[in-house]
Amino acid sequence: MRSLKNHISLIIPLFAILFAVEFYFIISKIISEYEVNLSKDYSIIVVSKKPLTLPELKAVEPDIALIQEVDSDLIIKRLKQNGVDVNYEELKNFLPHFYKVYLSSFPSADMLEHIKQVLRGIDGVTRVETFTKVHEKMYHFLIFLKKISKFFLGIIFVTSIMLVFKQIEIWNLEHSERMYIMALFGAPLWMRNAILIKLSVIDTVISTILVYLIYSYLLSTKYLKELLGFENITISSQDLLKDMGWLFALGILISVVNVLIVSWRQPKIA
Amino acid sequence: MSREKNVIIAKDLYLEYKKDVPIIKDSTFSIKSGSFVFITGPSGSGKSTLLKSFYGELKPKGGNLQIGGVSLNDIKSSKLAFLRKYLGIIFQDYKLIKEWTVEKNVMLPLLIAGYSKDVCEAQTKRLLKHVRLSGKENYYPLELSGGEQQRVAMARALAHNPVIILADEPTGNLDEYSSRVIWNLLEGANEQLGTTVVVVTHSIPNNLKVPFKHFYIENGTVYEIS
Repeated sequence: MRSLKNHISLIIPLFAILFAVEFYFIISKIISEYEVNLSKDYSIIVVSKKPLTLPELKAVEPDIALIQEVDSDLIIKRLKQNGVDVNYEELKNFLPHFYKVYLSSFPSADMLEHIKQVLRGIDGVTRVETFTKVHEKMYHFLIFLKKISKFFLGIIFVTSIMLVFKQIEIWNLEHSERMYIMALFGAPLWMRNAILIKLSVIDTVISTILVYLIYSYLLSTKYLKELLGFENITISSQDLLKDMGWLFALGILISVVNVLIVSWRQPKIA
Repeated sequence: MSREKNVIIAKDLYLEYKKDVPIIKDSTFSIKSGSFVFITGPSGSGKSTLLKSFYGELKPKGGNLQIGGVSLNDIKSSKLAFLRKYLGIIFQDYKLIKEWTVEKNVMLPLLIAGYSKDVCEAQTKRLLKHVRLSGKENYYPLELSGGEQQRVAMARALAHNPVIILADEPTGNLDEYSSRVIWNLLEGANEQLGTTVVVVTHSIPNNLKVPFKHFYIENGTVYEIS
């Protein structure tokens, strides 16, 4: 019973830390995939008197991934639909080149402004439209989400570390006499700490498995599947397993630091 | 550490807990390998403190103290841990690990020395028979009487055939039977194995069969009186 209590006292804070870290990992992954999806859909419209090529644009802005010329017939067709009264054949000859410029990543507002200036500087370019307002709204929302998850991670981390330290105090009381006696007979540090290390490793394994099971379940629920599927985002069980490796390493690191603190706080025998 | 060689050498030894409050001062003495030594003195004279300095729990603040040729004045923890493998320590309050069984407590020095499980078990069985505790391997210390606990501590101190046994009031709270067992074992270790035995006590037993030396502590100074 006491042993179970001992385990639970460490598993709870470890689980909370690992759960929060995995939450941050997942949110970051969702955001980054969402950014990629957004950047695929997002394009800048460039109007130029001269034809433009991708290498030419890439030379001035490496972040440009693709350019697509908008067919002038489509523009004429749209003008016709809107009932604009002009000579379309004549207009076609005078129309500039319209391009959709795609970027390799989702840009920040500053980066977008920079790209806009660079594109404007190209000979022949008469207009650059970045649709800044739509872009900024979405971008700020993503940044907000990232900040919230970081904040959440921070709060959980601090609270859990406090619980872990509480556990260290308990361990200190429970194991100090045994470790002292072992030291009197010349036991090396690792031997004195062997029980604590074993306890920590077992608890880290249990916490990591619990986190894996809970996230596997959550990500397989219909609601989350639909939500992520709608945005074309996938988090596979392989991704989750890879994260568990990191979480296990983090759990072990926290546990080992605990054990070291316990042994450091032992009464010094000479 | 052969016979006749000094295993413990103290020169102008100075021990203190609080600054400038000496417990042991100006003490120069030596203990030969294979000897049986009693350290006596009034309560609070510093007997246990002196013994603590022998196993490195208290470092000298002045003078010099050597155990087996190793100076304890500025010994590093790793070297101290190594030195302690050659010591067997017996405490008045037994200092058994209460979460461990009798068997595991006795095994402790053997486990530290890195012996295999089979060797540890065989040696423990033999020692428990010696201290008349056969059949109590799986008991926990708190399930035993004081005398039995001290006999477990005795078995633990002998388990790894130490070069020096340091005993702090080993029979202080014991019944006559347990006291006899303890003295017999200490005498046996000294006589048969040549183990140096240093015992801190209030009174020297009358019927000891081995020759011994007697150190007396008075006003913080250690005197050799016989």
